[in-house]
Amino acid sequence: MGLSLRSWIANEGGKHCILITWLSVSAWIFWRTFILYCSGAEYHYLHKMLGLGLCISRASATVLNLNCSLVLLPMCRSILTVLRGTRQVSSKKARRLLDKSKTFHVTCGVAICVFSVVHVGAHLVNVVSFSVRYSDEFPALNVAHYRGQSVPGITGVLLVLVLFLMFTASSHSVRVGNYEIFWYTHNLFILFYVVLLMHVVGGALKYQTNVDAHPPGCIPANQTRAHSDTWPNQEVDGELVAESREMSLVCKEDAHFQPHFPQTWLWVLGPLCLYCGERLYRYIRCNASVTIVSVVRHPCDVIEVRMLKNSFKARPGQVSPTLSSAVMNSSSCPTENKETFGIHVRVVGDWTACFSELLLPDLEHSEILPMTNQRRYPKLYVDGPFGSPSEEVFNYEVSVCVAGGIGVTPFACIMHALLDEWRRYKLQRLYFVWVCRELNSFYWFAELLCGLHRKLWEQNRPDYLNIRLYLTTAQELQNLTDEKYRPLHSRLLIGRPKLKLLFEEIGRSNQHKKVGVFCCAPKGVSRELHKLCNSFSASGTVFEYNKESFS
Amino acid sequence: MGKIEWAMWANEQALAAGFIYLTGGIVGVAGQFSGWKFAAFGIAAGVFVCLLEYPRSKRIKGTNFERTGQYCFTVCVKAFGPLTRNYYVRAFLHAVLCIPGGFMLATVLGCVCLGIASLIYLSAAIHGEHWEPILPEAEPTKHVSQSIKQPPQNPPPRPPADMRRKRLDDLEAAAYVNPIPVRE
Repeated sequence: MGLSLRSWIANEGGKHCILITWLSVSAWIFWRTFILYCSGAEYHYLHKMLGLGLCISRASATVLNLNCSLVLLPMCRSILTVLRGTRQVSSKKARRLLDKSKTFHVTCGVAICVFSVVHVGAHLVNVVSFSVRYSDEFPALNVAHYRGQSVPGITGVLLVLVLFLMFTASSHSVRVGNYEIFWYTHNLFILFYVVLLMHVVGGALKYQTNVDAHPPGCIPANQTRAHSDTWPNQEVDGELVAESREMSLVCKEDAHFQPHFPQTWLWVLGPLCLYCGERLYRYIRCNASVTIVSVVRHPCDVIEVRMLKNSFKARPGQVSPTLSSAVMNSSSCPTENKETFGIHVRVVGDWTACFSELLLPDLEHSEILPMTNQRRYPKLYVDGPFGSPSEEVFNYEVSVCVAGGIGVTPFACIMHALLDEWRRYKLQRLYFVWVCRELNSFYWFAELLCGLHRKLWEQNRPDYLNIRLYLTTAQELQNLTDEKYRPLHSRLLIGRPKLKLLFEEIGRSNQHKKVGVFCCAPKGVSRELHKLCNSFSASGTVFEYNKESFS
Repeated sequence: MGKIEWAMWANEQALAAGFIYLTGGIVGVAGQFSGWKFAAFGIAAGVFVCLLEYPRSKRIKGTNFERTGQYCFTVCVKAFGPLTRNYYVRAFLHAVLCIPGGFMLATVLGCVCLGIASLIYLSAAIHGEHWEPILPEAEPTKHVSQSIKQPPQNPPPRPPADMRRKRLDDLEAAAYVNPIPVRE
C-alpha cells in the first residue's frame, strides 16, 4: 500500500499546518529583528561597536521570547479539557489537534534549547566586542568599565544551567526509567522564568532615543567650522545637502542612549500567570481526598480501585495521569449509581508496588475484598480528570479500538458507557482489538465484554461490536475455559494481529466512511497502525488515527 | 523515591555537557578570544567526553534504550575494562576535564555542566552502579536431546499375541500392566 493523499491529509494535515505556521512565524520575527538591529537608525552606534553579534543575539532573543511563552500553553491541561468538551466551539479537527499538545510542547522546548545555544554564542562574541571596541566617543553605550574588561552575565549562566538540568532529565530513557527525576527537575521551570524576568532587566543593550536631533553619522557642531574653511561656498546648517554627504549633517545635540523596556515581560507574563493559576486550581481540586470504596486484585498484577470523590464529574475515556509512568490508569468508569469512578493500576515499578502493598497488604490470590470498617486505607489524592483522545470514540460512525495489555482501560470505560445506553451515540459499529501476552489478562474485563455482547445480541444489533482477542506469547493451545465467557472463546486468536488484513476487511465493510482508529498500545503496534492509516485504501474509507500516550 | 538509576541521568548530562564544552571551545577559538588555548582544550575534551558517553549502559531492570549506531562505541569503551566500568573513575575524569574550562568565559558553561554531571556520577557510584555494555544477545544453540541420536533397537516389550487378543468374555483376565509406564 502506498501513501494515500486523502488519508495523509486527514491524518497529518492539521499537524503539519500548525508546524509550518509556527516555523514561518519564528523565521519572520527572526528576520525582522535581525534587519532592525542591522540597519535601524537607533542602533547604528551599537551596531558599529558590536557588529553581527548584536543582530544574531537580539534576533534569537525574540524567537526565544516567542517559544518561552508558547511552551507553557499546551501544558494547561484543565483549560484544554474544557476546550475539548465544548462542542459548539471546537470541531473534531480542532480536538484532534489538541491531542498533539504534548508534541508541540516538546517542539517549543527543543527550539528554546537550540536558540539558547545561538543566543549564548552571539553574546560571547558581544562580550569580546564590548571589551575590545570600548567606545570613548559614546561612553554611555559601554557595558565594560574599561577597555579589556570581561563582562559576566550571571543571570544568563543561571538560565542555561536550569535549562541544562531540565533538558537532560526529559529524554525518553530517563522518563521511562525514573519518572521522578523528570518530574522534579521539570518543576524548576518556575525558577527559570523568574531568572528570565530578571535577565531582561539588565539593560546591557541600549538604543538611541533622539534620532531626529542626532541622526547617526552626523558631525558634531564643533567640528563644522573646520569644514567650512575648506568649502567656503557651501552653507552648512543642519539640512541635508544632496551633493556631498560627508558634511551634510550636523548634530543638534549629543546622542542619548537608554536601555529597552523589557519586552520579554509582555510575552511571558500572560502564559506564566495562566499556567500558575491552572496549577493552583489543580492543587486545590486535588486536595479533597477520595474515599476508597473497594479494591479488587486482578490476575497479572493489576489492582482495581473504586473511589468516591465529591464533585468529580468525568466522561468516559478521560484519564488521570499520576507521578509514575509505570502506572496506567483511566478514570470515570461509571457504575450503576454513577457516582464512583475506578482506576486500574498495573504493578510494574516500586511506586506501584508500595501502592499495592498499602491497599492489599497480605493477599496472595485473586479475591474480591470489599472495604470493611476496620481496614485503614492510605489517603489518596487524584488529579484530573483530563481530556484524552479516547473521548472521541463516540463521535465516529465506525471506530476501531486497538489496545495492548493494560492499555485497554480507556476502552473499558467506553464499553461501560455503551452498556448503559448505546443508542444515544453516533457510533454504529465498534471493532475492538485487544492484544495481550498472558491469557489471564483477558479476565480483567471478560465479564464486561460478554455482558455487552449479550445485550447487543438481545437488542438485535449483533454487528455493533466486533471483538478480536489476540494472545501473543502462547506455548501451547490455551483458551478461556469458563462457560460464561463463551463468546470470547471463539474470538480468541493465537499470535500477533494481522493489522493490514484487518484494515482491508474493515475498509470493505465500511466503504466511503470515516473510521476513527484509537490506539493505546506499545510503540511497535501504534507505529504500524499509524502507517496503515496513512496508506492507500481501495474502498474509499478514510482511517483517522488517534493515539493515547501516558508518559 | 525508590530505586533511581542515577547513571542514566548522569549519562545524558555528560553527553550534553560535552557538546556545550565543544561549542564553547569552537566559539572561543573562532573568535580568537584571549585565552583561546583553553578553548582549544575545551574542543578536545568535549569531543572525548561525547565519544565516551555516547554508548548507554544496560539498565539494572527493564528495557534498554540503545542510541543509534552505538555498537561500535560500546566495543571501544568496553575495551578499557574497569576504567570505564567504574563510575568513580568517570566522576574523577569529568571533574579533572572540566577545570581548565573555568578559566575562560566561552567554556565556563561547559565547565559547570560537566561538573554537575561529575557530581551525579559520583552519586551513582556511591549507590553501587556500574557501566554494563549493551551487546546483542547470542542466539541460544538448539539443544538436541540425546535420545534422537540413538533410536531404540528393539520394539517395546509386549505380552504374547494371544494374550493381547481381545477377550470379551473375561475382561478382568485380559487386562495387563505395561512393564514400561506410558506417559500421557
